Amino acid sequence: MTGRQAASHGPNALRRQAALALLLAAPTLFLAVFFVGPLALMFVYSWLEPGLYGGVEWTFYHLNFGRIFGWANTRYESFDPVYLRIFARSLWLALQTSFFCLLLCYPAAFWVSRLGPRARNLFIFLITLPFFVSLVVRLFAWVLLLRPTGFVNQALLGLGLVERPLEIIYTEAAVVIGMVYVFIPFMFLPLYASVEKLDASLVEASQDLGASRFQTFRKVVLPLTLPGIVGGSIIVFIPSLGNFVVPSLLGGAKVMMTGNLIEQQFLSARNWPFGAALGMTVMAAVLLLLVVYVRLLARDDDAAPSGARS
Amino acid sequence: MSAPRNRIGLLGLYGVLFFAFIYAPIILIVVFSFNANPVNMMIWSGFTLDWYRSIFGLSTGLDELSLYVQSTDQLLKAVRNSLIVALTTTLVATVFGTSVALAVARFRFRLRSFYRALMFMPMIMPDIVLGIALLVFFVSFGMSLGLVSIIIGHCTFLTSYVFIVVSARLAGMDRSLEEASADLGADGWTTFRKVTLPLILPGVIGGALLAFIISMDDLVITYFISGVDSTTLPVFIYGMLRRGIKPEINAIATVMLVFSFVVASLGLYLRSRGK
Repeated sequence: MTGRQAASHGPNALRRQAALALLLAAPTLFLAVFFVGPLALMFVYSWLEPGLYGGVEWTFYHLNFGRIFGWANTRYESFDPVYLRIFARSLWLALQTSFFCLLLCYPAAFWVSRLGPRARNLFIFLITLPFFVSLVVRLFAWVLLLRPTGFVNQALLGLGLVERPLEIIYTEAAVVIGMVYVFIPFMFLPLYASVEKLDASLVEASQDLGASRFQTFRKVVLPLTLPGIVGGSIIVFIPSLGNFVVPSLLGGAKVMMTGNLIEQQFLSARNWPFGAALGMTVMAAVLLLLVVYVRLLARDDDAAPSGARS
Repeated sequence: MSAPRNRIGLLGLYGVLFFAFIYAPIILIVVFSFNANPVNMMIWSGFTLDWYRSIFGLSTGLDELSLYVQSTDQLLKAVRNSLIVALTTTLVATVFGTSVALAVARFRFRLRSFYRALMFMPMIMPDIVLGIALLVFFVSFGMSLGLVSIIIGHCTFLTSYVFIVVSARLAGMDRSLEEASADLGADGWTTFRKVTLPLILPGVIGGALLAFIISMDDLVITYFISGVDSTTLPVFIYGMLRRGIKPEINAIATVMLVFSFVVASLGLYLRSRGK
């Protein structure tokens, strides 16, 4: 392999160069124009002044971010923390989503890991299958379940547990339920990967040495499955943070998240620079989170140089 | 393993509940798509196929007011748009994703890690950010929004999905076969065609199916970059849901369910055979 590539002379090397160029030319051009280009343009937009009638003025303008973070106390507008509040709510709901996904999937991962190989593959398939079912269809199911005339309320009324239908839909709880449901496969797979790798003999050793179940869990099981826990939580957190479909269907107008705010700026308020600034803020939050995660992973790998982790 | 039996029992019970949580809502839709009650979908009042007849444009004994889709033309057009977008996107994204995966896995060049990072970008980016970025871009450069803009948008992020699936396949592949082929005098192209391609084909097909399903289902990005005439199925249903709920949605949802189950099962079957 290395020998073949070290020979960087002659027609062979030239042909490899040509093959490489052939492989990369079209995708590179396409992504440069339609992926990097739009993101760069959005970045530029977030620093431009919104025009009076929906357009954009090509002058530098920092108050888009000022409106979000609080330095927009100008002669014409006083700062309103409403956007910060919406952003904080998004963070909070995304955090709850990650937490409840973890809570649901953690025992399930252990359960699946203890099944026989055939059953295990079947159940992993069954857990990932809903991911392939249309998102709107899955959310529609929850609209049916949670409506005042919906299934949950019918059941509660029928059992005599409540006298009037509960207001479940169009609350923060409904949004979290919807997001948890949608993102379960995202949490389950990384979690299962680390639970499956867990060496049963370590658990047994811990118990043989007299540790209680709780101690074994805290000192052995938890640290060893931590990569899956953190990985899964981040994979769930990211799409939850910018979500706008779940809150718009299950949260209605009452539970607004950053995603809904962005949608509004683009499709009804037509303040694109401000919408772009909001988008950049979400993106920055996600990148920050990932940097922290990668740092943690790197530190983890340094601490365990045995190379056991792949 | 000689774990105490009651613990396994509890865990097993939990497993059952977990699956109930995942599948109950889906099963509910299927069951109630056969419910004749036009007023409250949640109260069973007899078996009917009327909702299915209605979405396929057959005559029903139903009152016009209880129907969503006044004409099935809109619905069928949305389905057609979705299929055009998904098939085109799958083709382009599969070629792009596989090319980049091959380049990164089989060549050594200066920008390799850059490409790898670039391919992971769309995976970690919230959909909505890419959606609005594309919208701003298309409008700024005077491109009209329609099927072409949707296809371009889908290709930007589905290339990454194909890249990741094919890369995984390439990483698990036995390199010595390619080397043997080269040693036996085959040139690069012949080796690729006769050795590499057949070996990575399950990965390529898996990536293509994944791209197809995600493209068929994408709502967020499509929502921002679809024009008035180019509604896809998910955007169409999303619009219906925002206007209110009528029983026909159950039938549409069930048809979509069956479709995605078939495609996903096919993909996993192919993958298990490829191993």
